[in-house]
Amino acid sequence: MNQKAVTFVMLLIASFAFVGIAAATPVSLLPGYGKIVLLLIGLALDFLAFTSRYYSYLLGPMIRQRSRPVVLSKENAYWLSPSSDSVMKKDGATFVSTVYVSIPVYSSATEMSDEQKLNFVNQVSRLVSTAKDPTRFTTQLYVMNKDAAIQTIRAAMNETETEEARLMQTNAKQSEVERAKGKSSMWRGMMDNISTVTSYELFSYACISATGVKEFEASSIAQQKAKELMASIGATFGVSPSIVTGTELLKLVEPEYLIPVSTMHEKINKDIQEEVI
Amino acid sequence: MDRDGAIYLLFSLVVPIIVFAALSSFGGGVYTLIAVALNLITLLLIVGMNWADFIIFPFITSLLGVSFQPAANYKITKQQNAVVKEVNGLYYATGYLTANLYSYTFKAESAEEDDQYKMIAAPETWERIVSNIGFPMKFHVVAAGLDIQKVRDDLEGRRGYQEFQLARAMQGSNPEVAVTDIQRKINMVQAKIDRIAQGERPIAALMYIETSAVGISEKEALDGLGFQADQIKVTFSSMDLSINRIAGRELYYLFRYNFALPSHYGEMAQSFDTQG
Repeated sequence: MNQKAVTFVMLLIASFAFVGIAAATPVSLLPGYGKIVLLLIGLALDFLAFTSRYYSYLLGPMIRQRSRPVVLSKENAYWLSPSSDSVMKKDGATFVSTVYVSIPVYSSATEMSDEQKLNFVNQVSRLVSTAKDPTRFTTQLYVMNKDAAIQTIRAAMNETETEEARLMQTNAKQSEVERAKGKSSMWRGMMDNISTVTSYELFSYACISATGVKEFEASSIAQQKAKELMASIGATFGVSPSIVTGTELLKLVEPEYLIPVSTMHEKINKDIQEEVI
Repeated sequence: MDRDGAIYLLFSLVVPIIVFAALSSFGGGVYTLIAVALNLITLLLIVGMNWADFIIFPFITSLLGVSFQPAANYKITKQQNAVVKEVNGLYYATGYLTANLYSYTFKAESAEEDDQYKMIAAPETWERIVSNIGFPMKFHVVAAGLDIQKVRDDLEGRRGYQEFQLARAMQGSNPEVAVTDIQRKINMVQAKIDRIAQGERPIAALMYIETSAVGISEKEALDGLGFQADQIKVTFSSMDLSINRIAGRELYYLFRYNFALPSHYGEMAQSFDTQG
């Protein structure tokens, strides 16, 4: 019997017991209000028993811990496989490996005729219907990571400001000072612009999972399934899909990669500055 | 309702039935009235839980102020409609919405003119949505292949029933409208059978939208998420979809899907049977 059924049966037995005691005990031994309290407990347990059908994963920890927040798991949600090409998770005694495959389709509907649009929709339909095991197809819109660009602009800004200060201290020609000032203001303008506008990227991918009693077993089965999926994607759209790895993979599972921290910090700082002004 | 659901409901309703049968044993007078009231409330809660657990259970956890930690660094809010993560002083709130796109992508029968128009317009509408939405989001389709023989048997059974209905309608007094309607239904079933015969696999699909908002406090992130969810409802209205914010256990399962998909269709169907 699985854990869910055990929880249900235990709660139901407890409910029967409380209701039974409340109903069977004579009033001389248990006054009316005592019976009502027992009945209330019995009915609450009955409600919890039914609730366990859907929420067995919450009820146990909720009753045991009686603290907030109720901890369902202290483990990390996942870890990356050593080869950084799949997301690993332990579920009870088994390992689950999930592989992500990119779908590099870049055609735009604005360039398509009606017939081509209909074909495209049918291609999507055909791709989805190739799934044998549960497969997730996703299109995600995410914030472009401007960290590298911000770092470059910040370094250039510091450099030009230092140059400007040096030129002013050494009584350099006015034209050179003006040029340094111009450069500095150009980088500042770029910095303002990059942190004001949020740019987005669109990425389509599919993912598939496999289980195994050993980590490598789950991983190799998932890789095999991913290869079959890649063949289906390639045959449907005529493109070359690839397995997503490393940082690119994190973009698909972690919210902080979906909306990069430093890019957002820069935007928040900019918004605060604007509000203050 | 599936078989498991019926068993759970049946056994859970035994207790209130016993209480009704033994009402006189709870002290009599006002105590009996209290027992009736408590029993009725339990009955209502159990029946309500069966149809709308995603409203009742989040309401209870919200009332008790109980939030959950589904994994390290993540938190499910007490309303059970968002997953929050804190990274370097920023809060990321992620929410999920239902989005059933069947009429656009999965044509199981020959398209009616109206549907065909919708399908032609779909890619452009989608591009317009993506270029106007202005915040991060993901559109997910989780598909799982069904047992081909089982689906085929089911379809052939349905075709047989429709053919029987057709024969009866032909003998009726005013068969014109009824016959056309039944013939259309037979054609639809036949088209599905033909597609399976051509090698296409019947599938079950689950479609949903995921969006994340960021803020310097949890409240700001959650407010942002609420705004984005409303915005998604408005933006996707051009696709004529029913979009609802997902709460309760389904949110938890969708969160888990980010890291591991279910191993078979049955597991997927058990987890999602109400809000989709």
